[in-house]
Amino acid sequence: MNGDRAAVSLPGVTTAPIPTGAAAPAATVSRTRLLWLTLRRKPLGAASAALILLLVLSAIFANVLAPYDPLETHPEIRLAPPCREHLFGTDDIGRDVLSRIIYGSRISLWVGLLAVGIGTVAGMIIGLVCGYWEGRIDLALQRLMDAVQAIPGLILALAIVSVLTPNTTNAMIAIAIVIIPGNSRIVRGAVLSAKQNRYVEAAEALGCRNLHILVRHILPNVTAPILIIASIWLGNAILIEATLSFLGLGTQPPIPSWGLMLSSTGRAFMEQAPWLAIFPGLAISLAVLAFNLFGDTLRDAWDPKLRRQG
Amino acid sequence: MYKYVLRRVLLAVPVLLLSSLIVFGLMRVMPGDALTVLMAESGNIGEKELQKLRKDLRLDLPYHEQYLLWLWQMVSLRPGDSLLTGERISTSLWKAIPVTLELTALAMVLGLAIAVPIGVLSATRQDTTSDYAGRMVAVSGLSFPDFWLGTLVITFAAIWFKWIPPIGYVSFWESPTRNLQQFLLPAAVLGFRLSAATMRMTRSTVLEVLREDYVRTAWAKGLGGRIVVYKHALKNALIPVVTVIGGQLGVLLAGAVVIETIFALPGMGRLTVEAILYRDYPVVQTNVMLVAATLVTLNLVVDMTYAWLDPRIRYR
Amino acid sequence: MPIQDKGPQGSRKRVTRRQFLHRAGWAGVGAAALSAVPRRAGAQGASPYPEWVSPSTKPPKRGGTLTRASAWDPPVLDPRLTQSVGLFQFAGLTSNRLVRYVFPDEASGPGDMGLKGDLAESWSASPDHRVWTFKLRQGVKWQNVPPLNGRELTSADIKYCFEAYAKEGVQTFNFREIEGIETPDKYTVRLHMQTPNVFVAHALAEPISVIFSREVLEEDGDLKKRCIGTGPFILKEHTRKVKVVLQRNPDYYDKGRPYLDEYVILITPDDATRKAAFRTGQTDFIWMASPSEVETIRKTNPNAVVQAYHNTAVFFGLAMSQDKPPFNDVRVRRALAMAIDRQKQVDTVFEGHGVLGWGVPYIYYQDKAPTAAQFGPWWQYKPAEAKKLLGEAGYPNGFSTTLFYYEYWPQMTSQVQLVQAELKKNLNIDVKITKMDYTTYYGRYVDPKWEGLAWGFQSGHAVGLDERTYQYMHSKSTKNFFRMNDAQIDELTIKLRQTPDPKEQRVITKKIVDREFDQVLRLWMPYDNGFMVFQPHMRNGAAIALRRTDSYGSPQIARVWLDK
Repeated sequence: MNGDRAAVSLPGVTTAPIPTGAAAPAATVSRTRLLWLTLRRKPLGAASAALILLLVLSAIFANVLAPYDPLETHPEIRLAPPCREHLFGTDDIGRDVLSRIIYGSRISLWVGLLAVGIGTVAGMIIGLVCGYWEGRIDLALQRLMDAVQAIPGLILALAIVSVLTPNTTNAMIAIAIVIIPGNSRIVRGAVLSAKQNRYVEAAEALGCRNLHILVRHILPNVTAPILIIASIWLGNAILIEATLSFLGLGTQPPIPSWGLMLSSTGRAFMEQAPWLAIFPGLAISLAVLAFNLFGDTLRDAWDPKLRRQG
Repeated sequence: MYKYVLRRVLLAVPVLLLSSLIVFGLMRVMPGDALTVLMAESGNIGEKELQKLRKDLRLDLPYHEQYLLWLWQMVSLRPGDSLLTGERISTSLWKAIPVTLELTALAMVLGLAIAVPIGVLSATRQDTTSDYAGRMVAVSGLSFPDFWLGTLVITFAAIWFKWIPPIGYVSFWESPTRNLQQFLLPAAVLGFRLSAATMRMTRSTVLEVLREDYVRTAWAKGLGGRIVVYKHALKNALIPVVTVIGGQLGVLLAGAVVIETIFALPGMGRLTVEAILYRDYPVVQTNVMLVAATLVTLNLVVDMTYAWLDPRIRYR
Repeated sequence: MPIQDKGPQGSRKRVTRRQFLHRAGWAGVGAAALSAVPRRAGAQGASPYPEWVSPSTKPPKRGGTLTRASAWDPPVLDPRLTQSVGLFQFAGLTSNRLVRYVFPDEASGPGDMGLKGDLAESWSASPDHRVWTFKLRQGVKWQNVPPLNGRELTSADIKYCFEAYAKEGVQTFNFREIEGIETPDKYTVRLHMQTPNVFVAHALAEPISVIFSREVLEEDGDLKKRCIGTGPFILKEHTRKVKVVLQRNPDYYDKGRPYLDEYVILITPDDATRKAAFRTGQTDFIWMASPSEVETIRKTNPNAVVQAYHNTAVFFGLAMSQDKPPFNDVRVRRALAMAIDRQKQVDTVFEGHGVLGWGVPYIYYQDKAPTAAQFGPWWQYKPAEAKKLLGEAGYPNGFSTTLFYYEYWPQMTSQVQLVQAELKKNLNIDVKITKMDYTTYYGRYVDPKWEGLAWGFQSGHAVGLDERTYQYMHSKSTKNFFRMNDAQIDELTIKLRQTPDPKEQRVITKKIVDREFDQVLRLWMPYDNGFMVFQPHMRNGAAIALRRTDSYGSPQIARVWLDK
């Protein structure tokens, strides 16, 4: 069905067809258990889960883990290479890079959660409304989604950030808006296919209220595709924030976002002090990698078509 | 079939109108003004001069009049002039579009040339070393920001090979060798990212198809592995791949602004982004609408291809 | 363990697949990059490079193409509508001015501010300096390009040009000081000024006071499309976002010059790409801000010639909205000045190769660069006193404010963050930074309504003393971005332009500077000294005080030649 196409126009972003086909009825085998089994089988998936856990832990315990205050400046020791006192070296005004990387995980999580959170929830609501009620609301909302999606993602994000003040939060709101159309389409597709299930018909025949049907029968089928795409978008949001910082419209200094560290000081001092770029670059890559691989793993675990052995 | 096509085309019109409203609205709500850039680095903007300039550029009209005026210009295919440079927008588009088209085409060729074979390899040898290596390459392509890749490439090309693409864009017709030299590296960087996305898609769809009954039947019948893959699996597997490419095409057509900036190519990306930063409203609006119209058309074509391939869709 | 120790292939045994692949990539990057040995922080002291690259004594060779990669794409070609360096990096070559400053091969040293005639052969002023007479060179031809077709330049052209500048655009403030223009004959121009001003010739020598043609303005209605003048180079091609090509003007009045056949400016927005272009020989000269950058270039290009430039003024400082509280209180301004360690910025951010910061070029009031002590008590780093003073002003617990800026170059971001940290630590002032894009920043800065702080500028083009005092500091001036409003300054700057004696000028200028520093009217911030780096075959391209060859000092490219 063409509703499944989640062709999103953002650099480097792609989404594989999200499984919306024959959805398993909610809960013969618990999803979590499925995931756990898959993680045990696929080492790459397990590694990605571990990395994500590391990211979350750094974000939560940053003030314990970081050896220095990430904002504390010591210009006398600027551009120091990695050494015992500063494992990742110091930056152009003498701040400890390791501490900034650790605190940066907070920004990255914030970045991901905000963008993906808003984008997912809003997309879900729109998709649910469209898919369940169809008719004119569906037509109108889908056209609006098409209109937003027709505008190239980076351009739209840039324009939105220029309108609001450039900072991390607004950059993420911009990305969320860019994500919404794609998400809504996926959810809509999932809802449409779920509606065709017999038990939904049965529930309607029995006179169950709409909300009840939505929550008990439709929603479970939607959560799997949404979670899969959300996990991939968590990684992409970090990349887009970095690109917006490169263009000067993302995070503001002195906030230690990995994207800002890489695009401004990392690039400016690339030859004199490569560690200023290597570490944020690695951090970004590993985070994005982890989210992408985890998304793959989720798909492996939950996609009924792939699970079929026969 | 015709009714389906007609319906889809008719639906595209309100979509484009909505897009135009969104872009117009966003540009007008942005702080800062095209006029201030025209007066760069001076302090001497007398009120009278400012008013006159505003009037010349028709920025003193109420918003809805500006919008309708611009809409009329779009429809009659006379987009007007840039606020900043005074140059005709059609001229600047005429110069920027070939750059973007060339970059896009080369990136796609390079990207697909890498992606499809590796994707197939990965799928047919699932969970082996080659699969992991392929997936690693694919995912690493997706996990670097492209400004970083571009910067690394240009800096180390200069240091290690003492060569970088010759700066100063020339079109293919002026000088094919110089032009290709200029486009090779940036197309490779873009292509690498494209191939990353496509590789994964190819792999997963080929995997799915390989499990289909008809494939197993073919194997059971004794047909050689390779033939089965190429004849049966690949054809069906490639349909969703085309979708992904379509999505990436949207990105590339909008212009890979970062790559264009680093490799000094005057494409649509830089044109549009620099116009946003300089609040050059007509340029932004026109460019974005052009790309939006192209994307909408592309989507239409893809939808119609699906409808043609899968008759069930037409009767929804 | 420092990263330098690992070789390109990740020399450990038993590396996991993922580790291997990542290491191979990044260690390769690191190893290669680290071949340019990074300097430890705090590299200070005198630069090993000369301050002045003397013009060559060999006879110049004619021919060749000079190429440069530039970040600046000229948005408008109309000199009435912009002062941007994007235009004047080459408009100074397609046009002349009435008067000019000396070129490097005429200069006695990097600080020579002598005037020479350009289109004017000689000039004189009436005793009250209200009437200025310029005698034009005879036989100067406009470029042989339609619609001028090589006709002779006359005084009527000058009159037309000046009246056009006064009518509209960014230079009206200056040119409206002319009450009337007489052209008694073809080669004489007489200017009647509204008020006495000893600096009229200097104002006309500014790089932006180019003489453009009547025909183009009348035919096109503006000067946006065609750039035709009397200058040494003809604008052969201008492709937006790609390049600017200038070709030798065979009919130029200075016979035998320019030496170059062509000057090509390649529009290259990215800094890393510009460096790469210089490294691979695609461009002939480049500006670098810091010593460590120069070292990395010299690793790959050991034969590059380096000139250690020394700025005689800076262009950026902490602009305060001093028409409003809290910055209208001189105690607050003084407290801020004492709470910021400017010397440290010079030592660290600029690696020793920088200046502490002041607005009026010191060559106008003394011979040597100012020392820190000279600026007075409010400009020494004394955080405890600063806190006390701020308390006396009524803010013992500090306050909150904002700062907006545009990142012209990375060092600026370093400085902004250092200032933020120091103000917080020393005075408990919370500064919220907003980094903007160029348009938003520029638009907000020149409109005197912003509040709080800004990393603000005064224009980079100004060479003349009057421009840097009266035009920028007088409370009524439209270029008074720092929003100064000091009666003494107003009085002194007007007096200055009525003082013909150079020695007295120095005295008055010093008084102006002293007053500015005493009242902390503009909180100047450190600035780089920078380096001009040339390919070994380039001659006569040295940058001179306030006239950098790659930017507003472009007219001196008429004297550049290539030894190859």
